[in-house]
Formats: sequence, C-alpha cells, structure tokens
Amino acid sequence: MRNTLMTDSLILGIDLGTTNSLAAVMTPGGPEIIRDARGAALVPSVIAFVDGEVTVGLEARAHAVENPTATVYSVKRLMGKSIEDLTSDLAVLPYEVVPGRNDTVCVKVQGREMTPQELSAIILRDIKARAETARGQEISRAVITVPAYFDDSQRQATRDAGRIAGLEVCRIVNEPTAAALAYGLDRSEDACIAVYDLGGGTFDVSILRVSGGVFEVLSTQGDTQLGGDDLDRELINLLTGEIRREFGEELTFPPATRQALRTFAEATKVRLSTESDATVEVDLGAGRLFRRTITRDEFESLAVRWIDHTIEHCARALRDAGLGPKDIDQVVMVGGSTRVPMVCRKTGEFFGREPYTAVNPDEVVALGAAVQAGILAGIKRDTLLLDVTPLSLGIETLGGAVGKLIMRNSTVPCQATETFSTYVDGQTAVDIHVLQGERELAKDCRSLGKFQLTGVPPMPAGAPRVQVTFLLDANGILDVSARELRSGQAASVQITPAHGLTRDEVDSMVRDSYARAVEDLNAHRLIDLRNESARILAAIEKAIETAGDVLTPQQRQTLDAAVGDLKTKREGEDCDAVYEAMGAANDAAMPLTRAQMDDVLSKTIKGRKMDEV
Amino acid sequence: MTETHDQATPVKCRHCDKPMSTPVVCDYCHAVGPDAAVADHFTLLGLPRRFDLDTAEIHRRFLVLSRHTHPDFHADDTPEVQQLHLQVSAALNEAYRTLNDSAARAAYLLTLFGGKSSADDKSVPDGFLGTMMMMQEELADALDSDDRAEIARITEVLQTQHDGLLRRIGMLYEQYQESVSCKAVVDDLLGELRQQLNAVSYVKKLLSQATDAEHAHD
Repeated sequence: MRNTLMTDSLILGIDLGTTNSLAAVMTPGGPEIIRDARGAALVPSVIAFVDGEVTVGLEARAHAVENPTATVYSVKRLMGKSIEDLTSDLAVLPYEVVPGRNDTVCVKVQGREMTPQELSAIILRDIKARAETARGQEISRAVITVPAYFDDSQRQATRDAGRIAGLEVCRIVNEPTAAALAYGLDRSEDACIAVYDLGGGTFDVSILRVSGGVFEVLSTQGDTQLGGDDLDRELINLLTGEIRREFGEELTFPPATRQALRTFAEATKVRLSTESDATVEVDLGAGRLFRRTITRDEFESLAVRWIDHTIEHCARALRDAGLGPKDIDQVVMVGGSTRVPMVCRKTGEFFGREPYTAVNPDEVVALGAAVQAGILAGIKRDTLLLDVTPLSLGIETLGGAVGKLIMRNSTVPCQATETFSTYVDGQTAVDIHVLQGERELAKDCRSLGKFQLTGVPPMPAGAPRVQVTFLLDANGILDVSARELRSGQAASVQITPAHGLTRDEVDSMVRDSYARAVEDLNAHRLIDLRNESARILAAIEKAIETAGDVLTPQQRQTLDAAVGDLKTKREGEDCDAVYEAMGAANDAAMPLTRAQMDDVLSKTIKGRKMDEV
Repeated sequence: MTETHDQATPVKCRHCDKPMSTPVVCDYCHAVGPDAAVADHFTLLGLPRRFDLDTAEIHRRFLVLSRHTHPDFHADDTPEVQQLHLQVSAALNEAYRTLNDSAARAAYLLTLFGGKSSADDKSVPDGFLGTMMMMQEELADALDSDDRAEIARITEVLQTQHDGLLRRIGMLYEQYQESVSCKAVVDDLLGELRQQLNAVSYVKKLLSQATDAEHAHD
C-alpha cells in the first residue's frame, strides 16, 4: 500500500445509512466521494454470512433471497433499541432478532449472536477498506453521520460501532446538517434553509440559518422509525393481504418469499416514481399465480399518511425555530426516498416553494461529513457548524416526573448543573435516573441510564451538596461528572446504560476485532483479498457449469481473461491489483450472476427479469 | 449595593499579557481566557448589562466568539485546552440562548441585579390573576369544542398580553438605570419586575397550550 505524509490528517466522512452507506474525504478542491474501481459509491448496508464468510454490499444483497435468515440489512433501525421498541419491525425482518444485554437486541445468525454495533462495524470496516484502497493510505479517524433525531443511546451505539471497526470517531454529525454543509458550501449569501431528509428508515427535518460561513441549526424534528421502508411495508401488506384473500387466509410466507416480496415491493416503489403503474407477478407454486397491477395513485393513497406525518414534523420544526414557511429561502431534499414524487409535491406545497433536489440525494450527506472532517482536521477553517440537541434532557424526580435540565434545540455543546443531597444519615451513594424526551412523566421518556454517584462523604441526611454537571458535547453525547461541594471531593459516577454497551463490553469487542488484524493491516488485507478472490473464482466456476450457456462467445472470452488475470494477481503481493482484478472478474461474470438471480427469483416469485423490476 | 457598571472589568491575557476587551478571547493572540467559563452572560458576550439590546448585535457577537471558542477548531489541541474550549463554548451557547430571548434576558438581569427568584416571590401584578382565570376558562372551552377560530383569537389576545408585559418590563429597566443610586426605588422596581416576569411565565404557559392545539391539526 502506498503511504503518504497525509496519513494522520485524513479523516473519513461516512454516511452510515439504513439502506446504503458511503464515504467521502475532504480534498483541497472540496469534498470528494470515494468510489471503487467501477465508479460505484453506494455500498448496500447489507451483510451476508455464507459458509463462515462475511460479505458486505451488493454481493451480500444478492444473497438475500437465497439466504434470507443469514442476510442482515437495516441494522441501523436496531441501533440503541430494545426488543419492545421494535415490535413492528420484527414482523417483517426475515432474520432473527433476540433480546440482548442491558435492554438491547442482538441479531442471531447461524447460532451466533451479534450486537447491532458489531454488525454496523462490519459495514464500517468495509467502507474503511474501500476508502483505504481508493486513497492508497491507512485511515484511522472518521466523522460518522446519524439522523438528527437519534437519541443518546443511538449516538453512543454508532460511536461504539466505529471503535469496533478500528476507527476513532472524531464526530457524530447529524445527517440534515451535513447535507446543509454540502449544499451551502459554495453559496455565500445569508439564508434560512430547511433540510428535508427522508431516508430508508429515518426522517429528519432541520431548519438552519447560514450567515458568514456559520451554519447554525435553529431547530430539528424527526422520527427515527419512519422512512422508505415503511412505504415498502405498505406495499408488502397490500400484496400479502390480497394473496391470502385469493388463495386462502391460512397461507404462510416462508422467509425466502418474505424477502422476495420485499425486493418486489421496493422495486415497485422505485418504478412508480417514474411510471404511472407497475405490475407484480407472484408464482406461489402448485399453479397458483398472483398478478397485480398497482397504479401510482393507489401507491400514493397508501403512502400519504406517512408523508403527511413528515409534513407535521416540518410544521413543528418551523414553529420551534420561530419562523413561518415564507421565512425559508431554500428547501433542500435529501435521502433516496425523496425521489417519490408525492414527497416533493407535499413538501413544496407546505413551504410554498419548489424544493431543491440535490444532484445526487444519496451522496450529499457523505459530502457534508467530509466537510466537517475537514474542519476537524484543521484544513477548513472558514466554516463552522453549530448544531442542536434534538431532545430535552432531564432527570427523574420524586413521583416519577421529569425535571428538565436541557431543553431541546439547545445549541451543543451545552451543560446544566443540578445539586443533589442525601435522604438518610451517612448515605454515601445517590442514584440519578437520566432521561431524554419531551413528555412529563419518566415512564414516557427514553431512559438513558442510571447514574450512581458514589464516594459521597458520610454526613447527616441532607447535608452533602453534590453538584452534578450534565454536559452534552458537540456530538450530542452526554457526559456526567459530580463534585461534593462541602468537601470539594469529586464523586465518581457509574453509568449503567439503559440501551447500550458498557465501556468494558465495547473494549472487549474492540480487542476481538483487533485480534484479527494485529499490526500488519496490509498483510491482513492481502489475506482477506486472497480468500475473497478464491471464493469469487469458485463461484464463477460453478456458475459457468450451471449457466455458462447464457454467455456469448465474446462474453465468455472476456470472462476467461478476467479469471486468468485474477488467478495471477492473487499470487502476488499487490493488494490494489488483486482488488481491481476482482472487480473486473465480477463485472465479467455479471451476465452469469444475473441469469442465476433470475433463476432463484423465479423459484419463489415469478416476475419480471431482475433489471426490469 | 448592586453592581452597576456597564463594562466588564479589564483583564489581561495570560498568554501575551495584553489587555482584553472581554475575558473570553484575547484581541491580540486569540487565546481563550480561563475565566470565560465562569463569566456572566453579558460579560461573556461583551455586552452592557442592559435590557434593551439589539438582537442582531447579540447574534453577531455570538457568531464571532463561536469562531474563536468552538471545540471543532481545537480538535488537535491538548485535552486541557479542548476541555476549556468545550466549557467556554457551552457557556457561550447558554449566554446567547438566554440573552437572545427577551423574557429570559429580563429574568437573568433581575438575578444579576439582586432581585428575588420566582421561587421566593410568586406574586403577580394586581388584577392579573382574574384576567388569566377568565382566559384559561375561555381557552379550555375552545379546546373542548375544538373551535379553531376561537383558539386563534385567544392566541392573539395572549400574544398581545405577552408583548405588553415585556414592554412594561422594558420601561421598568429604563427607570432602573436612571435610579440606581436610590435603594428604596430600586427595591420597588425589582419587586415589580419580578411580578411582571411571573406574569410573563403564566401567559407563556397558556400560549403554548393554545399553539399546541392550533398545530395539532397541521
């Protein structure tokens, strides 16, 4: 691997999405998206476990129908969540989700339980490796984006995922804010911007004021469980409902069929963004054929309640910012789901202006993350981001009420102090329950955890004055410190996260992950690449055996040449060369893969060919 | 005697020993002073202790100081320097949030001038409670019957009340600036300011109920 002096200052900007992930870096010419040899930037956030091998991205996604229980996607929806939070998701996820420690969840694949943090780390490691290949240098630091409405547990979980992947996470940045950074960078005039960000699994809207290079978030609103996935689910429910009505209510859908239905629903949604109708054909076996044409109007009647919900959030965000729709100079649309025409139409109607759709709404968040990375690396000093905390922070008081300490939409970093005392003579520990949310009762808010103050000097009840400082840093992540005022002693704070990993757990995961990649990252990468290419070569060989006849002589010749090249390169030491040869072999094998995919699909669902849906 | 001086006490920079116009950041070497994290909101933003301040000027100062203090520009400094910038930045954000909102600014100024806290003095101006009871009943009826026109009317009345109270507060602070030498007058003024501010909190509470209902239909 090439090494440059820039190694240390480079910070990767990563958009870790529900559906796709990608990265960008800051260059002297501005932020630049990381692309692979084929020019692709998006890596599907999908992980497949096949025969003890882990694959990420397009290839993993190709396994989804074939191997539904060992293909994990939408991990982001599981981050920092408990099993109770996920009831509606679990019904449609084909893979197994089980309760984890500290009220978290784990994904169970082939008998092995993995936390959402570890799974996200697999994606991050892949993104990191791609960026290292593209840049020809090692990367150890990153800025990772999260939905603005992510709470403390979800932010912590994201940061922990970065650590497990071997990345020092310099900053967690809110996605709409990152988008605004990328959008407003080359515009010098002062303006108020609304960023509408509808991704695969999350929705955010942020209102910003940009003046003299300072990007000041005025308010943010959102829903971390609302996104394009929900529109897909409406279609899945429509299809399964009608299939049952036609072929019997007792009909069950095995995981492979569920996965295929999901693929079809998503394809239908995408198709309806440009076409007025789309037809789905499902072969249920035993001569049972289900055929259905869905019109755009029909789709919109299913989608409207979700989209109206996002518009309500826009109204609230504006109100929190103390502004009206006419005060907004520009509406910026971000996230793949803003390609649904109804989304743009409704947003435009609400703000009374045509929304601006980024040239590529999938890339703008990563570009913004790279800008923030540039600021942190000290190579971009004319821009400053002032973000807010999306949720109020409070503590449980007597009777289960919540005492608010930091109000939502407060600019971060921010802090609040509160003085606590003891109830019993000689008491040396005090428990504090910290919550996030807008509701009045503790049980309706999100528990961030129990903080136990210990080392309080023994004194009569009520005599100690323990001053506790709650500090939300620029990541929106909470730090709690305490001091006993009479003695001046620092009390220690022990945290039991309500929905996360303890520091020890993360440390042990970091160790586990380093155990594989001791010091020589390069050697490690070469081993990985060799294994990977062996697997690809085997797969191609098998594919030629079963479906080789679909190739034209020209295609066959290209494939043979690419396979030969890969066989030679993998014997060498040059990682990049192996990587490129792997890409070329994959490309050359595409007609074969496609033929196989069609074959697999038609076994469960008979529909259009893969590239038509 | 309450503090009356408009300007912050002059301090010297610990790095270059030059006088600083604010304790936050040295005008010469741009180092952030350690006192910044504990300075009061006015001192921090380099503003006089007055109620009538230009919000555009508050915002301008906030942005300028943010550029100097924000932790993002010190990501590679020592942990001590980073911690200082984190503290000062948090203090600056709170100062801006407080002074940018006229009711919060008025309440903060009252504590600086030695007035009573809302916990110690819960009184409101004469006749205010009667008016509010009436408004509260009208609002409850309008909410029950979901009468949007009536809710909008009540919102407008409450907003006018709110603005009127703040106007009165502005006048009281003007009188305060002129009569700082006479303790009896000052005590009266601070007492009345407390009452007016209590009334503002009351009106705000009702206002948020009314606007929540208005926006429930958005």
